[in-house]
Amino acid sequence: MSSARQSFIGRVALIAATAIVLSPIGALAQTANDKTSSSAATTSTKADRWLHVRVISTDGKGETVRVNVPLELAERVLPAVNHDRLHNGKVKIECAHMDDVDLHALVDAIRSSKDGEYVTVQSSDNDVRVAKQGGYLLVHVLDHGYRGKHGIKDKDEAAEKSAVGKSNEKNEVEVKVPMKVIDALFSAGKDELDLVAALHALSAAGDTELVSVKDRDNTVRVWLDSKNVTD
Amino acid sequence: MIFLAKAALGLGGTLVLAGAYTFHEGVIRVDVDEFREGGSHVHFWAPAAVVPMAFRLIPKQHMQHVSEQARQFAPVAHTFVRELKKFPDFELVDVRDANEHVQIRTHDGKLQIDVVDSNENVHLLVPLAVLDDISSQLEANLPGA
Repeated sequence: MSSARQSFIGRVALIAATAIVLSPIGALAQTANDKTSSSAATTSTKADRWLHVRVISTDGKGETVRVNVPLELAERVLPAVNHDRLHNGKVKIECAHMDDVDLHALVDAIRSSKDGEYVTVQSSDNDVRVAKQGGYLLVHVLDHGYRGKHGIKDKDEAAEKSAVGKSNEKNEVEVKVPMKVIDALFSAGKDELDLVAALHALSAAGDTELVSVKDRDNTVRVWLDSKNVTD
Repeated sequence: MIFLAKAALGLGGTLVLAGAYTFHEGVIRVDVDEFREGGSHVHFWAPAAVVPMAFRLIPKQHMQHVSEQARQFAPVAHTFVRELKKFPDFELVDVRDANEHVQIRTHDGKLQIDVVDSNENVHLLVPLAVLDDISSQLEANLPGA
């Protein structure tokens, strides 16, 4: 082999070696692009249902908590949790507290009833309303804060609170649960709540606000939609 | 010259294969900065593929002990990570107050945990595939598994 040819082969080999050494950079870049595009595709094609929780505290620290959970993920993970009363996605209900109330019968009765207002309590302390409407069970609790809660005895305190601008602060709780979710929740058995079945039923529900709590210091919202971010 | 070229080709090929294998699962990144006198500053990058390899080097009895300790949460972690991989990037948890910001999210196939505090900053980036590997190893080494 001539020296010129040997030199040529040597150079080619060196260039090839350099190219091989540098090639992973390009490959890595390509992989990253692929991942991005596949991620974007997943976002656009999957119609996942997301459960969002947002807690905003208006006290001095101004704490905000935001949690976003895909329902499908919760559905898969819950059966793997085996702790205390939670096993295989079902939670045992404390029987001692249920002796006087047959929850299943109660749920059956609500299911078979027509839409309407079942419980209405209006007092100086609270207003409570439980109703069934459009396939949802609605619970609304309004706590009147300091208005009548403390009565005559706490008049001075109420006046004090009023002076600092807290007299009209009401605590309000609103819960809106699809009846199908309640059915699924009680589908397990007498002393159990089937959380996985409830989540599954929830995933079939439309965008809805499930829980809303407003009090003096905190605002809590739990809602369901198809977005993977909170608004 | 030809010998040198062959050596370079061999070395280059080996480096490529080793590099490709080492980094095929990405990189684990840990950054810790403590803002106090004598506070530690840890900045650590490691190829993710090292972790499963390191697990295989741990003596079986130690591994079983660790698995036993993690018996309760290993299956949950395994399922959680496996399911996380199926979803696009999203923010799982965000907690913020006047002094602290904690964020847990997935980003490009990695679990990202960021804690920004007035006293310290912690940033952790771990590929989900590695977490999957770790939880699988823990599950597989449970006594009686």
